[in-house]
Formats: sequence, C-alpha cells, structure tokens
Amino acid sequence: MEFFSDTKIDFMKYRKYFVILSLALLAVGILAVFFHGKLNLGIDFAGGTQLTLKFRQQPEIDELREVVADAGIGDAQIQRFGEESANEVIIKTPTVEGQEEGTRNLVVDALSVRYESAMTGDLDLNQRGSEAIAERLYELDPDELRATDEAIAGDHYAEVAGKILERRRQEGLLVSWDEITGIPEVSTEVATALQENAYLGEFAVLGAENVGPQIGAELRLKGILAVLASLVGMMMYIWFRFELRFGVGALVALSHDVLIVLGFFTMMGFEFNLTTIAAFLTLVGYSVNDTVVVFDRVRENLRRSRRQPLVETINLSLNQTLSRTVLTSGTTLLVVGSLFVLGGDVLRGFAFILTVGVVVGTYSSIYVASPFTLLWERIFGREARLRRQEA
Amino acid sequence: MSRSLLWRGIIILAVVLLSVLAAHPLAEKLKLGLDLRGGIHLVLQVQVEDAVRSETAKDMDRLIQELQDAGIQANGSPITSSTFEVNGVPAGRDSTVDEIVGQFLPGWSWSHRGETVVFEMAPANLNEIKNLAVVQALETIRNRIDEFGVAEPVIQRQGLEGTRIVVQLPGVDDPERVKKLIKNTAFLEFRLVEYPLGGGGVRTREEIEAQYGGRLPEHLEILTGTSRDRQGVAVGQQFYLVEKRPVITGRDLKNARPGLGEFNQPVVNFYLTFEGGKLFAEATAANVGRGLAIVLDGKVASAPNIRSRIGDSGIIEGSFTRQEVEDLSTVLRSGALPAGITYLEERTVGPALGQDSIEAGLKAGLIGLVLVVLTMLVVYKGTGINAVVALILDLVILFGALSYFRATLTLPGIAGIVLTIGMAVDANVLVFERIREELRHGRTVKSAIQAGFAKALSSVMDANITTLIAALFLFQFGTGPIRGFAVTLSIGILASLFTAIFVSRWIFDLVLAGRKRVDRLSI
Repeated sequence: MEFFSDTKIDFMKYRKYFVILSLALLAVGILAVFFHGKLNLGIDFAGGTQLTLKFRQQPEIDELREVVADAGIGDAQIQRFGEESANEVIIKTPTVEGQEEGTRNLVVDALSVRYESAMTGDLDLNQRGSEAIAERLYELDPDELRATDEAIAGDHYAEVAGKILERRRQEGLLVSWDEITGIPEVSTEVATALQENAYLGEFAVLGAENVGPQIGAELRLKGILAVLASLVGMMMYIWFRFELRFGVGALVALSHDVLIVLGFFTMMGFEFNLTTIAAFLTLVGYSVNDTVVVFDRVRENLRRSRRQPLVETINLSLNQTLSRTVLTSGTTLLVVGSLFVLGGDVLRGFAFILTVGVVVGTYSSIYVASPFTLLWERIFGREARLRRQEA
Repeated sequence: MSRSLLWRGIIILAVVLLSVLAAHPLAEKLKLGLDLRGGIHLVLQVQVEDAVRSETAKDMDRLIQELQDAGIQANGSPITSSTFEVNGVPAGRDSTVDEIVGQFLPGWSWSHRGETVVFEMAPANLNEIKNLAVVQALETIRNRIDEFGVAEPVIQRQGLEGTRIVVQLPGVDDPERVKKLIKNTAFLEFRLVEYPLGGGGVRTREEIEAQYGGRLPEHLEILTGTSRDRQGVAVGQQFYLVEKRPVITGRDLKNARPGLGEFNQPVVNFYLTFEGGKLFAEATAANVGRGLAIVLDGKVASAPNIRSRIGDSGIIEGSFTRQEVEDLSTVLRSGALPAGITYLEERTVGPALGQDSIEAGLKAGLIGLVLVVLTMLVVYKGTGINAVVALILDLVILFGALSYFRATLTLPGIAGIVLTIGMAVDANVLVFERIREELRHGRTVKSAIQAGFAKALSSVMDANITTLIAALFLFQFGTGPIRGFAVTLSIGILASLFTAIFVSRWIFDLVLAGRKRVDRLSI
C-alpha cells in the first residue's frame, strides 16, 4: 500500500498561516507553563517525600489529607494511583524543615494512629520485615521446636517468615488471615500465635522516595543544562553536516516542539520529573531526526539543480520524503501510543510527551524548519547580499 | 551462492548466535534495576566537618597538655571547625610555644597576637582528614552491610574526591532497619557515674544540680537516658551525672556479640583489646560499688553498679529487643563512624510495585510490536517481511548486548526498548521508500535496490546520529533509571543500523540471487 506517491503539494504556499498557528500554540504553551497551571514539579526537582501506599479498603482522599495535615505537614498532594480496585494512593509532601531526611515516618505513624488504633498485638505483618517476624515466632515458638534444637527452630521460623513475606510481595498487602493459613509451611499453631500477637495493618508502604533540598537543586540545574546542551549539540551537528541556514531552521523547529509539548504537558497536569527530562531529550532527538531527513533530501536536490529557487527545492524534497515522514511518525506513534494506554501510571507522562511530540515534531519539520530556513535565506542569503550591495 | 553472500550470511548468523547465547536464559542474564526488582537506593552525605572538628579538639587538648608540662598555663578554645586559639601565653615564651607546636602539631599553621596564638589547619591536612573520614565511613558501612547479609550490594563513593556515598541494596524488606543500621554512629563510651554514685539515675535534672549548688564541676556533665517499663515501653527520662572523660571507648573493643543476660534478656557481650582490658580492669577495681554508665551516641543506655573488677570482657545491658541487640553488636564490631551521616536521597521500591511496572511495560511493548509488524506488512507487502526480520533481529541483538555488557534494565529502559521498536523500522522505511522511488523512475528491480540503499545511506546515518547525540546527553545527565533508558535506546539504534543496512540488504540479495531477471518486487 502506498499512501503518497508522486505528490505535488505546495507545502510552502501557506507557510505564513502555519507560522501564525505555531506562534499561537507557543503562546498557549508559555502561558500554561508560567501563568495558568504552573509546572507540576515532582520531588526529583522540588525536593520532598513521595510515598506509595496500598490500603486494604479504598481510602477517602479527603480523610487522608486531614490525617496528614494533622501530622503537621501542610501542602501535601494526595492522589489515587493505578487501577481503582488496587486501593493505592500516592502522598507527596514538600520538604519539612527539620525533616530533611523525609516525612515517611511522620506520615506512616499518623496513618497508623488513625486506621490501626483498634488493632491488638505489636507486630504489623504488612509493615515489618521477615527478620522481625521470624524473631517474634522464635520467641513464641508455637511449633515447640526450641526445646529440641534451637538452631533448627531458628531456621524453621526464618523459612516460615520468608514464605509469609513472599505472599505479601505478590500484591503488596496481606488482606486477610486466610492468605496466611493457606501457606503450606504455616502450621495451625503458627497461624494462631500470629493472630494473637500480630495484626494485619490496614496499609503497606509499597515505595518511599525522599529527595533532599540539596539534591533537588542539583538535579534542577543538571536537567536544564542537559536540555540546553542537547539543543546546542544538535545545532552544531546540523551546522557541521549541512549549512548554517539549515542549522538555524532545525534549532527553531526543535525549540518550537519542546515548548509546545511542555505547554500541553503542563496543561494536562502531569508531574515533571527525571523521566520527563528523558522524554524531552528523546523528543529533541526525534524532532531533529525528522527534520534532518528532509534537509538531507534538500541538499541532494540542490546539488542536482543549482538554478532552482530554494522554495521549489524545499517543496520538492518535502513531497519526496512525505511518505517516509508519515510512515515513521506512524510507527513511532503506534508504540508510544500503546505505552501511553498500557504502560502504567509511572510512564504515562513520558509516553504523553512522545505522543504529542511525534505529532508536533512531524508538523514542525514541514512547517517550521523549512520556512525558517527560507526566512534566513531571504535575510542573509546570497541574493539578499547582492540586493544590499546594489542598494 | 556467491562468496560475498555466504560470508555476509555467516557474519549475521554469528552475531545472532552470540546474542542468543549471551541472553539465554533471559530471566537470569538480564540484570533488573532497583526500580523493577525492588530495593533501596540511598545517597549519604558524610559530615566531614564533624571529623575535622574532633581532630581540632584532639590536637588542641594535646597542645594544652604539652604546654602545661612545659610550665605554661594556657587555655584553648575552638573558633571554627578547623581553627582554634590559645590564650594566656606569657610574654617571652613564644619560642617555647613554637618549639612545642613544631614537635607535636604538624599540619597546623599559627600566628602570635600578643598573649594569644591563633591556629589554622593547613589545607593539605584538612583535605587529608576529610578524605580519611569518607574512606573510613565507606569501610564501616561496607562492614555493616556485609554482616547484615544483602546480596549484590553497591556501596560507592560518589566521585573521587566526593563526600557522598551511594548505597544500593536490592530486595531489602525492612528498609527502615537498614537505614538505622547504616547511620548509627555507634559511638560507645564507658564513663564513671558521679551522682547517684551507685548508678541508676534520677528523675530530674534539678535534683543533680541541687547537689552542687547549681554549678557543676568542670570535669562532670549531665547525660540523659530513656527509662522503660518491663515491656520495654518508654516511660520517661533518667538523668545521670557522669565524668566527661571515658574509661574506655568503642575503639578499645575487639569483638561484640549478641547474648542473653541473667534474666534471659537480650544483651551484648563485648571483648576488649589487651590495652583496653588493662585500663578497664584498673578502673573497675578502683571503683567497686560505683555506677558505670554505658553511653551510646551521647545517651545513657544503662548505668549498672560495678560489683567487682571486670577484666577484658563484659556485657552491655539496657532495655533492648533481640533485633536491637543484634544490630548493636554489628555496629560495635564494624567500628564507629568517623563522622555523622545524613541521607540526602532515598528511593525505596517494593517488589510489588516493580512487578506491576514490568507487566505493564511488557504488554505495551508486545502490542506496539504487533502493530508495527502489521503496518510493515500492509505497507510493504513482501518486502515488509524483510523489515520484520530486521526488527526481530534488532531486538535479539539488543537483549544480547544488554546481557553481555551486564547493563541494568530499568523502567525507563523498558520504555527505551518499546520506543526502539517504533523507531528502528525508520531506517528500513527510508531505504524502502527510496527503492520505490527508483522503481518509479523506471529502474530494474536489482538496480533500484542497489540505488535505494546507496542513496538512503546518508539520510539513515544522519537520522540515527541525531538520536544517538540525544542519548549521549541523556547518559551524561542521568542517574540510575535514566541511564538505563539512554543505554537501551542507544543499543537499539546501533543495532537497527546493522539490521536495516547490512541484514536487510543481505536478505534482498539472497532472495534475488541466481535469478537472471526480476520483473516485479513486492513492495
């Protein structure tokens, strides 16, 4: 199947309108980043603590917010995570003065007081590690092994505790005692002893991240430098491989793509974190990739017929590469699209940037890079110089 | 079959075989990052100023002592962590001071200002102390983690001169305990108790102060400890008046082990070095009936009564749980940290979270792969098979290279692989489009293929090099997970160059080989 063969579209005819469209999109993007929603900086750059918690029952977000606020942490962000049936939430708190090493313990303690005060026993099977559980079982010795051999007893309870932890790892949380009695290594006596002395907490900490203010500031600086350096690097490469006028066109297209996607990204309220930087750098690579293929063809056509005006050469080249442009964008869209839909919450922002980025990048290699190369040519090119000399 | 065709076929086969060998079995060979397998990633800051400060205090005390022996009653006070001043040097004794400093305090520069001498640590000495503090901290932490028993731990200094340490521990199920264990400075001292003389402790600070009319003697200080009830629940604070100078410290320890006390309660058994044992025996023999405070990190753990002379071993009692006793033995054995530690960054991922990410990423990758394969087959028909073979080989090589280089697969790394699936076919598309064009211009199939590859080469190279440049900056910028992304993307792109230019061309040649005239190409 051939989508486009021998097309003769005059892409450059309406370039002015598209420049206006681009400027409008840019304006919206910049407004979004700086005024409307503001960039949602993740803890990687802002510093702070992020906890991923799994609850036994669907927690009320407002209630969680209240508990966290009562613990003395203002400004916490709380949202659901993953599928609704998973009962998972993310709690993000800013760096609290005097708690630079994170608010994990503050939040967990506050939640325990709120949700688990009715529980008896002092060992939370949903929070503690296998060693603590093994130690407790050894003390209780429900299988009555210590009298015969202490070493065997130690190994036995370590194994039992390991199996319980293995079970917890599957879903991240032990929901009912049936799960524990169902483990073959757990004897009835062990199950009874645990039910008397331990409890299944209402929630478990699936993940905890803390980024101190110092690291946050460093990552911010590094991130900005990486994006700027890659932009300059790309321009240098194109300048070296082609000519300055193409380098300028590519750089404008590139900055255009990054800013517009950043605008959409901000409007959607996605979190800006380390992975976001990775996505943007990839976008930079993709956007140039797309532009370079067109320029490569322009260069080839220029060699063949020097006489032809640049506008016509560009139009010809855009038509010749159109099929490739559409197809490559298409396959890339297919994969980033499936990543967006199926790739999970953690990668969603990443996939969003690339999905929108591929569309904008494809558009810009046709309607931004080339017009700017033409504009540069009109102002600084050979003919312009000749005209200036005459005048 | 021509020789060239055969040789190229052998090269391709060799690359594929090597990749498969390197990556088989995939589940074992592929190294998963902490974000996928679960684990804890910590960035620690060694408070090197602590080490400098204590070195300054030590040298100052030494100097004052030596001056005293030379008949100069001077007193010293620290200014900053690496400077101090000595006051009360009588006129005319400057040269004596110079002599003593020259002999006992290398690594310091000093200047006289009347009766005061100001000391400043020399930069070389300062750097040496800081460096040593980090090296020692690294060693201590490594010992503690080794004893704790974590598989494949990473414990590294960040940068050659850095004061930060990166710790990565896969598959730890009680991160809070590990964090405490690492950070525990474990500064142990045994100090004689002055009030209440027999040990124990009192309920209020005022009770002690009242004994001395509110003014404590220079060589004593008040320390606190937590008092607990029988269940080990904290019920309040106890106050102790103890001597500032310890009898022995953790440095005099040879070994420490968890054990059981008189009432089957968990205790730490400790064994002293020969020197330490001698000191301890002398001090305990001379102070039978008095209390001896066991001070951990400036807090009194317990203050038992000395019943008789204690030789080179003893027990540390306190209200400890079994786990606490184990951890305390570990940190005492590994030695005290030379300086305090703070956590700058912590990333703990539970295994359940990582498993979800892997499943989601796999699903997205598979669906993406199927869609791309279908697109290639629909758009390029027979030739599409060529692109599909190239794509599959690309993935095989990618996993082979990841396994061979022991690269770490992270969640963003999975995204990189998925992205590679979409972008790798680009090189094929560039070539195929060019072949179509050449066919339209009336070339024969063979010459169109020849021209298509030749003319598309420059575009293919340019397009991929730009992506590689971006990946390079990403690698430079990133830590951990992000680097994983840069690595998979780069390998994927490089492999796609090989498959789209070398392998794909070979497939064309192989299919068309031996046929004199080819009229139609399914493209």
